[in-house]
Amino acid sequence: MAKRILVVDDEPRYLRLLEANLKTEGYEVFKAADGVQALDIFSAQPFDLLLLDILMPRLDGFAVLQRIRAFSNVPIMILTAKGEEQDRVKGLDLGADDYLVKPFSATELLARVRAVLRRSQVPVGQAQARFFSHENLRIDFARAEVWRGDQAVSLSATEYRLLLQFAHNMGKILTSEDLLTEVWGPEYKSDREILWVSLARLRQKLEEDSHSPRHIVTRSGLGYFMPPVET
Amino acid sequence: MKATGNKPVDPTTLELLHALRAAARAAGDWKVAFDGLLALIRDDFIYDNVALYTLDAPTRALEVRHARAVGRGRGLGADVSWGEGIAGKVIASKGTIVEEPGAGPYRDRLAAPHLIGLPVSVAGRLEGALVFVRFGGPVYSQVHRLLAEWIADTLGSLLESRALRDARSQLESARRQMRLQEDFVSSISHELRTPLGFIKGYTSSLLREDTTWDKATEKEFLSIIEDESDRLTRLIDNMLESTRFKGKTAKFKFQPLQIDGIVRDVTARVRAHRPELEVHLDFGHVPPILGDSLRLSQVFENLFGNALKYAPTSPLTIRMRHDQKKLRISFEDRGQGIPEEYLPFVFERFYRVPADTSSTGTGLGLYICQQIVKAHHGKIWVESMLDKGTTFLIELPVHAAS
Repeated sequence: MAKRILVVDDEPRYLRLLEANLKTEGYEVFKAADGVQALDIFSAQPFDLLLLDILMPRLDGFAVLQRIRAFSNVPIMILTAKGEEQDRVKGLDLGADDYLVKPFSATELLARVRAVLRRSQVPVGQAQARFFSHENLRIDFARAEVWRGDQAVSLSATEYRLLLQFAHNMGKILTSEDLLTEVWGPEYKSDREILWVSLARLRQKLEEDSHSPRHIVTRSGLGYFMPPVET
Repeated sequence: MKATGNKPVDPTTLELLHALRAAARAAGDWKVAFDGLLALIRDDFIYDNVALYTLDAPTRALEVRHARAVGRGRGLGADVSWGEGIAGKVIASKGTIVEEPGAGPYRDRLAAPHLIGLPVSVAGRLEGALVFVRFGGPVYSQVHRLLAEWIADTLGSLLESRALRDARSQLESARRQMRLQEDFVSSISHELRTPLGFIKGYTSSLLREDTTWDKATEKEFLSIIEDESDRLTRLIDNMLESTRFKGKTAKFKFQPLQIDGIVRDVTARVRAHRPELEVHLDFGHVPPILGDSLRLSQVFENLFGNALKYAPTSPLTIRMRHDQKKLRISFEDRGQGIPEEYLPFVFERFYRVPADTSSTGTGLGLYICQQIVKAHHGKIWVESMLDKGTTFLIELPVHAAS
């Protein structure tokens, strides 16, 4: 079965260039002209690889990468004119599998595409869970939106990252140190107060009754966890 | 040791303190703040004239920076020489100096000046002297002396904060300029990389040995390569052009011309590339102007370029209205508009609206437009409303001979 590749770039001529070359190798090519469109197309169907530009209107490539990595391990290769070291590091740190700087030759691009696909472990056609739900709580990873019942909840970037920790580790107890390291960074490891304040705010926004929370539960002396729900 | 604690501050003192603080912090010129302070202590500290002398930077000579005459001897207000001597002594001694006239008799009060001179320091450095003069008695008391010292001190702080404010705004504008330059370098390299990327990408595609392209695709790729080479040339021309405007070496060939014709030509050229573009031309015959037709075409090409980039699906309307003296052209799109806070800067060299993440552009286009319009003794400005659209307006003088 032909590998499905989604190419994302705001320059139609790049889309055309990539499409023409990828098709000669027998790939099935899909196109998106900006980050928002990319997320919509990506979450509606399975892909084997994403080729992602960084500088795009509406939602840039780094943001797309970050959101997709919240729910999918699909191989992602960044194709961009931003070639500085800090940009490459940022892209790779956010979870890109490869980083190719424009201008590039068609032959090198195709070789890298083959390499990334060879390395990738994603079984073809694996459905990606764009939505997550926990009782009446729902997360749309692609849009980074959170709903309580039919009510949209507005979270700060930090609160959202904190919530993702619980959603990705449902049923597992997370210590303060785990959470601080993951969300704020290792230098905040023992800064418990900041976690308490953020958790309290998050609970206030998510829980029906923040005194007996159902989504983020405290295990005193151990940490916090999101209780598994029976499905 | 003197017991000072636990004595309640009386309300009038508190009120005065409060008023003094407010006066000292009054926005605007330090002179206004200083005069405000003096007005507040007038009841407790009687003086006729006051003058501030400062040391001139290179020569260290005394200069009068500020003087006020309020009482007796107003007529002598202009004659500040009464303070020169004591100011010099204050500078030399770096301390307060009181000079009382000897016992009379004097022919009038003006012949018996009571002087008090105080050092004024800015950021710990002696910068000048403040001199009060009182014609006739009484002798300065210890309280007067303290009050005067407090005033001199506060004046020093006022001057210091002004110096800091000036330094900060200078730094800010230098930093802004630097950031614009840096952004320019990075956006120009991105700008150059874009056409180069296409040229490299499509050329290397044609050169692939593991595949063959049909004739139509080959032709398509080659015309993209040609087109992008042209874009590269245009970019470089634009950069050179902007340098010429900056260095004021741009050349113009002025002659009487019909600007409606120029606008029609440019519109036709743009339409050749973008046949789906909706352009409404709302003008009839307009009076001739004196201008450089190539440069003016460039202005409209630029405005079209911007509209296609930022409002790609919006219809465009170009209107012209005129009276005896002026011709006004408006170029209107119904795109997403420019946020109000960025509007004042869009004509600046290298400036680019930060929200524009698509990042194609050098920040030169509108700068060049403005320079061209200015060279025609006209003006260009922009009006924009978010989600409603953007209108560029150009006003040019009508050619007098018509």
